[in-house]
Amino acid sequence: MAKLHFENICIKAVATTVGDKKITIEDEAHNFGYDEKMIKRLKKRMGFNSRYVVSTKVCTSDLCIQSAEKIFEKFDKERVDALLFVTQTPDYKAPSTAIVMQDRLGLSKDIIAYDINLGCSGFINGLLNAYSLINSGLNSVLLCVGDVASSFSYYKDKNLTPLMGDAGSAILIEKGSGGGDFVLHSDGSGYKNLIIPEGGCRNPFNENSLKAEDFEDGTRRGVDMYMNGGEIFNFTLKVVPNMFEELFNFANISKETIDYFVLHQANKYILQNIAKKLELSSDKLPMDTMTIYGNQNSASIPATVNGFLSDEFSTKKLKVLFAGFGIGLSWGACLVEIDNIFAPEIQIYKH
Amino acid sequence: MTRDEFLELLAETIDTEDELYEELALDEVEEYDSIAVLSLMSMYDDMGVKVSPSDFQDLKTVMDLIKLADDKIE
Repeated sequence: MAKLHFENICIKAVATTVGDKKITIEDEAHNFGYDEKMIKRLKKRMGFNSRYVVSTKVCTSDLCIQSAEKIFEKFDKERVDALLFVTQTPDYKAPSTAIVMQDRLGLSKDIIAYDINLGCSGFINGLLNAYSLINSGLNSVLLCVGDVASSFSYYKDKNLTPLMGDAGSAILIEKGSGGGDFVLHSDGSGYKNLIIPEGGCRNPFNENSLKAEDFEDGTRRGVDMYMNGGEIFNFTLKVVPNMFEELFNFANISKETIDYFVLHQANKYILQNIAKKLELSSDKLPMDTMTIYGNQNSASIPATVNGFLSDEFSTKKLKVLFAGFGIGLSWGACLVEIDNIFAPEIQIYKH
Repeated sequence: MTRDEFLELLAETIDTEDELYEELALDEVEEYDSIAVLSLMSMYDDMGVKVSPSDFQDLKTVMDLIKLADDKIE
C-alpha cells in the first residue's frame, strides 16, 4: 500500500516559468472548426480562454532552468544533493535530461540526477521521490517538473490542443520542520486513455508517424497525444474524492483543517465537480490556472502556487493538500506544511 | 424528481434552448456532443446514478437519457 509519512522535511521554494506565446481560444478556433457559439460554450462549460506555449525548439528543461535560476537568486546552488526531473518531454530520448541540467545549472558533480516519466500525477510522485531521498540522508533536492505539451499536441486536435499549456517549475526540498503524508495509486488498465502511441519501442516511429488523420474527436498524428476525454473525466470523478478520504484518514485530520487544496489543473469543469463533491469553495480550491495558462501537466500544481497563491505561501504558515491525477493512469495526493516559503509570481520564459 | 423537472434539468445541462421531449432524436439536438456528455455524466453523478462514457454510445432519443435515471424519476 503506497501510503507514506515523513517528518522534518519541507518545501523551501517553488518557482514556475511558462511559455512566452499567449494564444486565445479565438486565435485558434479556426483550426478546430469552432464557431462563435461553440467558443462561448467552451468558455462557459470548460473554462477555455487562453494558454501560454513556447516557441519552437524551446524544451521543458529551458523553462525549468529559468525557474531554478530564480530559486538560486535566494539559495546557493552548492547545497543541492540531487536533481530530479519529472517530464514526458525530455530534451533527448537518452540520456536523462536531469544529468544534462546538472551541468547547465552549474551544480556539483557529486549529485544524483535522473528523469521520471510522468504527467499529471508527476508533481506528487516527484515530491515523494525528493522526500524519500532526504529521509535517506540527503540535505537538499531540486525537483524540476513540467512539459512542453505543444510538442505532442497537433495544432488541429480540437480534443486536446486547446487545453494544453507549456510550463516548467523548480521546487527546492530540504530538511526542516514540517511533515508530509502521501497516498499514491497506479492503474495501467487505463493506459490507452491518454497515450502517445508511436515513437517508443512498442510502435516505433515509421514513415506514417507524421501523417495527420481525422478522427471523430479531432485530427492528430501517431506521435501526438491522444486523450479519451470522457473516460478521463469519469476516472477523475471516481478516484479523486476517494483518494482525499483515504489521505484524511491516513493523516488523521479533517478537511476543515486544510487551508488550500491545490489540485492538478486539468480544466475548470473537472475542478468544479471535485469541489462540489467535497463541498469546498473556490477560495480554498483554486481552479483558474488552465483558463489563463492552459493545462500544464506536472507543472500545473506549482504553477497554481506561483500564479494564485504567491502571497499566501510567502507570508503564512499553511496546511496544504496537493493532488495530481491523469496519464498512466496514475493519481496521488499529499499533505504538507508550508511555512513562509520563497514562492515568486509566475515568470514568462525569456529567450 | 418529476419527468418534467428532469427534462428541464437535461436542457439546462446540455445548454440547449430546444424543447426536449421523449421521442426527440438526440441527433436533432445540435448541442448534444462530447461536451454535453461530460456535463451529463456530472449531472447523473449528482443524482446518484452511476454512469460511464460507454453508456452514452448507443443512445438514440431523449427517452434513452430518461431511462438511464429511471429509478430517480417519479
